[in-house]
Formats: sequence, C-alpha cells, structure tokens
Amino acid sequence: MANFTMVDQSTCIACGVCGELAPDLFNYTDDGISYAILDNNTGVTEVSEDLIEDLEDAFDSCPTDSIKMANTPFNCKKDEAS
Amino acid sequence: MNRTSEVFDITIIGGGPVGLFTAFYAGMRQASVKVIESLPQLGGQLSALYPEKHIYDIAGFPKIGAQELVDNLIEQMNQFEPAICLGESVEVVEKEEDGVFKLTTNEAIHYTKTIIITAGNGAFQPKKMNIPGEEQFQNKNLHYFVKNVSEFKGRKVVLFGGGDSAVDWALMLEPIAEKVTLVHRRDKFRAHEHSVELLKQSNVEIVTPYAPTELVGADRIDKVVIQETKTGESIELEVDDVLVNYGFVSSLGPIKNWELEIEKNSIVVNSRMETNIEGIYAVGDICTYDGKVKLIATGFGEAPIAVSNAKVFVDPTAKLQPLHSTSVMGDKEDAPKKETVTIG
Repeated sequence: MANFTMVDQSTCIACGVCGELAPDLFNYTDDGISYAILDNNTGVTEVSEDLIEDLEDAFDSCPTDSIKMANTPFNCKKDEAS
Repeated sequence: MNRTSEVFDITIIGGGPVGLFTAFYAGMRQASVKVIESLPQLGGQLSALYPEKHIYDIAGFPKIGAQELVDNLIEQMNQFEPAICLGESVEVVEKEEDGVFKLTTNEAIHYTKTIIITAGNGAFQPKKMNIPGEEQFQNKNLHYFVKNVSEFKGRKVVLFGGGDSAVDWALMLEPIAEKVTLVHRRDKFRAHEHSVELLKQSNVEIVTPYAPTELVGADRIDKVVIQETKTGESIELEVDDVLVNYGFVSSLGPIKNWELEIEKNSIVVNSRMETNIEGIYAVGDICTYDGKVKLIATGFGEAPIAVSNAKVFVDPTAKLQPLHSTSVMGDKEDAPKKETVTIG
C-alpha cells in the first residue's frame, strides 16, 4: 500500500484542496504552498492506516498532480536511484 | 486581410475570477471584448475546485462563497455583453502583418487587436481515467461534462468518481436516465454528507470499491470492465453512456510556446502589465513582476491597468486614466430613461 507522501512544491499552485481533504496530512507555507505535515515534506514518515483514505482523496484531487505517494520512504527511492 | 470573424479590441484568455473582472473592465472602457475559456464553464479554480469554500479577502466582502463571487462577476461582466467562448483552449497565437493577432483554438480561429492572458495556472482539463479505450470513445458516449441533461434521458449511465461532482450528477441524472450506476474505488464518498445521504436514499446503484479497467465496444462503449480494488475480481457493466468525474488538472501547456518571457511558470510583465510581446498583457496568478503577490485581490487590481493600457494601444487618442465608474455607469443606466423621455 502506498503510505508515504510528499508534495512536489515546484508544481503546487497553492489551491488549498489537499489541506481541505486531508487536514491532518497537509498544511501550507506562508506562500500557500502545500507540504506534508508528518515529516516536514521529506516523505519518510509512514502515514497511519486511518489517514490513508484522506491521503488518497487529496492525491486524486490535486489539480497539478503535485502530491506524490509511494510504497517506500522517498529518501530510499533517491538512494536507489543514485 | 481576409478574415472570417470579427476582430475584437481585447480578447481575454481564461475565464476565472480575474478574467471575468478584466472582461467587465474592458466593457467599462468601451472596448469590444471576447473571453476564451478551456472549460465548458466560467469561474476557473473557484468553480472547478472549491465552489462551496468561502473567500475572505475580497475587498468589500467580509466573506463570500467562491461560486457566489463567480456568479456576481458574471453578472457584473454581462452588463456589457461580451462574447464568451467556452470549451476552447488557445493553442497557437500569431501576429499578422497588420498587427492583428490570430488565435487558433481547438475549435475555431479568433482575431483580436490585443490579448490579456488571465489563465491562472494554465488551462484546466478534466482528469482522465487512463485506461484502454479512453481515447477512442471521446466525443462519442464517453463524457467528462454534462452539457445537456436531456441527452441522458432513458439511458443507462455509469458514473465514475467519489467527490461532490460525481454524487451531484448521479442525483441529477437519476430521475431522467433509465438507470444510473455510480462506481467509486473506495467505499466512502468524499462528497458532502447530505448529498451522500440523498444518494443512499435514491435509486442510484452504488458500486464500491471498484475501479474501471477497460472500456469495451466497437464504435461506442457497450460495456465497462470494473475491478474490485481489494480482491481483483472483475465484472462488466452494460452502458449507454459513461460519465467521468475525476476533477481537473491544470497546466500552462501551449502558452510556453508563444515566445513570451516566462519565469517559474509565470509570464513576466512590466508596470503596465505588458509582456515582452507588444499587444499582449497578462494579469492575475499567471503574471509575475518584482514584488508580485498571487491573490484574486491583486488580480482585480491589475485588470484595470492592463485594460486601460490595451485601450490606449488600440486607440492612441484614448486616455490611460479611466473615468470613475460612477460617471460611466451612471450615464449608461440613465440612457434608456432619457430615450423614454424623448419619445414620450
């Protein structure tokens, strides 16, 4: 199950939809850009089972596909890639 | 020059809140104006993403619903009867020999003396299902919008999606269609609780947790294959029409190819809201300049600057500084009365 998340802040348009659908997972910087709350947008902290539906709703609704989901922590992916 | 349609003074690309106010202001400056919007509805992000959210930073409104603001802006704009082209995305912008711009959209060709780009974060398009058969059946019986409810009369309709839009359309079509089936990949819908309650009480068949995997048919979709998301078991549903409500995605798209100066996905403008191409202006979230703040409120402020400069560009004898609206609109509203008095 995809239970790690982070926001691609280079494509986020600060529309506010993710924070509305998953308020425990996403918040906004002073510029309105979204970030994942759990791990300050590093994508290394597992999202708990009870928040997965909220995460999927936010993922589905992001108008720029800026919310990323993965089965493994995002830093592992980077390590694998490098 | 041989042109097939009217040359407008100002064409606005993007029918979001700032585009609507820009169109109103172009009317105030007695410019002929056309609005081109990629979605089949006006309102941009406000209508597409959060119509029921409240906005608190519009001058003069302590609090206003997003869709209510859009409705007000449309009413304000319509005082001048602008030309509105919905469901059209501008693909190519060319400047002809006499300086008139030729805009080619996916539907038509438009001519204009100036362009004001108010495209926010780019053109919105509906999110696709990304399954086999999807390309083939577009413009047939695969829909992303309901243009006319009556076209679903007596038909078997399968809807996909779990948000407000999917649930609201299921409820709207239920009394008209022969059968409405709503398929969502989770058991829980994210639509308003009240709407979900109405849905459960209705005759809409709810199929969860299933996701579409294939659209099957020759010329039109005859059936859709859906798969149970946990067990992987597949079933087929016979359909007359398929309606997808997965929300929207936005992207700058072809704007990047118009030779405009772009910085971090925004169009660079000067204090007149002019871009690097003479006759093309940009306002609202899509433009950037030193100190730019991306808000509807600032876009509203930028609109009269762009319109007034475009007005002078089209008619160099016009004044940059507009008259106050109390004078312009007062005269406009008084006009029919004066006529009545004269006739009487």
